[in-house]
Amino acid sequence: MRTLKNTTSRIIMHVDLDAFFVSVEQVLNPELQGKAVVVGGRPGGRGVVAAASYEARAFGVHSAMPLKTASRLCPQAIFIEGSFPRYRAASQRFMAILADFSPFIEPLGLDEAYLDVTGFESIYGSIPQMAIAIKQRVKGELGLGASVGIASCQVVAKVASDLSKPDGLVEVGRGEERAFLAPLLVAKLPGIGKKTGRILESLGIHTIGELAVTPLSLLKSHFGVSGEVLHRSANGIDDRKVEPPAAAKSISRETTFAQDTKDRVLLRATLRYLGERVGADLRGRGKQAGCLTLKLRYADFTTITRSYTLRQTTDSDQTIFQTGVELLDRALSGEKQPVRLIGIGVSSLVEPGRQLALLEASAPRLEQLNKAIDRIRNKYGFTAIQSGQTLRLKDLFPSDDDGYTIHTPSLSR
Amino acid sequence: MKLSCLQENLNRGLGVIGRAVAARTTLPITNNVLLATDQARLKLVATNLEMAISYWLGAKVEEEGAITVPARLLTEFVNSLPNDKIDISLSPQTKALGLKCARFEARISGIDAKDFPPIPAVDEGVTTRVAVETLRQGISQVVFAAASEESRPVLTGVDAQFDGDSLTLAAADGFRLAVYKLSLATPVNQKTEVIIPAKTLAELNRLMADEEETVDITINPNKSQALFRLKDTELVSQLVQGTFPQYGQLIPQSYNTRVEVDVAEFLRAARTASIFARDGSGIVRLEITLGNEPTPGELKISARSEEMGDDEGKIDAVVAGEEAKIAFNGKYLIDVLSALREPRVALETTNPSSPGVIRPVGVDNYIHVVMPMFVQW
Repeated sequence: MRTLKNTTSRIIMHVDLDAFFVSVEQVLNPELQGKAVVVGGRPGGRGVVAAASYEARAFGVHSAMPLKTASRLCPQAIFIEGSFPRYRAASQRFMAILADFSPFIEPLGLDEAYLDVTGFESIYGSIPQMAIAIKQRVKGELGLGASVGIASCQVVAKVASDLSKPDGLVEVGRGEERAFLAPLLVAKLPGIGKKTGRILESLGIHTIGELAVTPLSLLKSHFGVSGEVLHRSANGIDDRKVEPPAAAKSISRETTFAQDTKDRVLLRATLRYLGERVGADLRGRGKQAGCLTLKLRYADFTTITRSYTLRQTTDSDQTIFQTGVELLDRALSGEKQPVRLIGIGVSSLVEPGRQLALLEASAPRLEQLNKAIDRIRNKYGFTAIQSGQTLRLKDLFPSDDDGYTIHTPSLSR
Repeated sequence: MKLSCLQENLNRGLGVIGRAVAARTTLPITNNVLLATDQARLKLVATNLEMAISYWLGAKVEEEGAITVPARLLTEFVNSLPNDKIDISLSPQTKALGLKCARFEARISGIDAKDFPPIPAVDEGVTTRVAVETLRQGISQVVFAAASEESRPVLTGVDAQFDGDSLTLAAADGFRLAVYKLSLATPVNQKTEVIIPAKTLAELNRLMADEEETVDITINPNKSQALFRLKDTELVSQLVQGTFPQYGQLIPQSYNTRVEVDVAEFLRAARTASIFARDGSGIVRLEITLGNEPTPGELKISARSEEMGDDEGKIDAVVAGEEAKIAFNGKYLIDVLSALREPRVALETTNPSSPGVIRPVGVDNYIHVVMPMFVQW
């Protein structure tokens, strides 16, 4: 019989895309392949290198280096400005692939992630085979190379993937962590930057092995509490959990009208639509909101926000809309300017704990209704079912399954 | 108008009527206090149109008369005077009220008393008398359960059923219900049910804090106003019109679990948990476990916040029936527990989504029903 695994018997995988920005550019423009490429800006520019291809790295170019230095070291390199939206899109596809392999995923920036793969060997034969499957899908679908480190904890897995680059795979067996780390230079250890490196150097500590046997008290006297983390890392000890990034603190949607408007019906319809999108997102995350905020920008660009703290937390479209309309009516009374932008958001997100009602039965019915609508929309698209108020938007905006295509791209999210 | 009185008495009187002065109003004169001679006394009146408080204090009246002046101004002025005799006089031409006390002298511009809203006279209808201490306890155990929002006006009031020599007070805000039954000192001649604004009763409780022994209550014949008469004070209130929910059917008739605990311990644990529940929806979780002789049963009160952390407190309990888990809004627990005067309390539950019933042990005139919160355990 299998027993509950404790933290010492975990298997962690660190997947890191190779020269991410450059590789994305190379996929989009194959002529760049096999050449020294630097992403970050023009060669003489004032910026720094965001990423360099392995061909450029051969000349000593590395990220965070001033572009001027890079162009001196490697004058023949092709310098590219780079495009963040392209990298973000690639990153999302990368994370989606990883999520297919393990639900226990902790993204680190755009191009790397930890996966807790404890117990997954039974599905893929072995963990290295699982890693190969991940690398193949990333290569096949994104055209990008990935390096993978496998170990019993995050810090060792990360060092392993780094060591395996490019396009590599390194597995550190259980109990071999210290021996694996020992010969490496301390700079290979995550968390050791220039400053820490210099201090360690001054103490005569060059390798991770030397760091591992340095008395904890000495490290603490130089680095304070982080001395302990250094010591543990050097000894291959890291019991942090693999956790998804902290949850969002608020959810909001807003849109700018093609033409400034005073049309209350249009404003309400748009508010209803935005509120439903917020509500669906809220329910999708399994949260309830305690505070609601309306945002308006008038024709002269003055922007106001009006918030309302709910007595009872909610995830209901109806409450979001009704409260939003009250805030809207109050804000617009006495306001002569047309509205340029409208937005609605919720905050003070809490775990759902619904106060049951003593006297009325409508709340559970509304909850069922919203759940049913969510199910229909998840299957047939957002516009498959809608409330009377939003129907007005049909004549004004093109729609697809995913909702109305309103002016602001944030809505199509 | 010309009279004199003691600063101490006038100051006290202005404090009594102060809460009835309108705060935000479209009728500016309701920001004023009415001063009128009434035989050998000075009458002070304030009203916000929902409630009016009148107070009589001893005065040496030389000339009859009446005037209204800004309540806040007069109150602050009188409050800062030394405790001495105050001479009050009205200049009929200028409508200015002159006050002289020791070596202080002030003139306050007034508005004609004729413009002050008439205070309804409630001198006939259903009448009764009740001991102040009894009524105070009853009010304090139900008034917090009334709704503070105006969305259902009847719920902002306390339902009062006068029947023979008993008065049953009930308040509910849609999530909880409190019912308290008390004895009247003199029976009513006719069964009567009215809804008294919770604000009125809260105010009455404040007025009764002084040394009074009994309070006389009169409900007018069309049940639109009620008068509460204390020794020197009268409070007249509009009554809430409408039908109070039939709450009898909301009180569960049976339970699966009954847990009896010390009120002070339960209150402390509920307060502690509420600190952690504040961040969320106020969710406080109760877990009831059975005892096993000689080990007593246990009530565990806990709360957790995703961001801050969690907390749990355990108290000994006498448990009958099944083990149970149920979650409540911590505020609701604190409200009822801090209103109880008995040392022990029983909580009865049926299941995690059915109302919980809280009863003080040893008395049967109070019942508090509170709906749980639906949570993931």
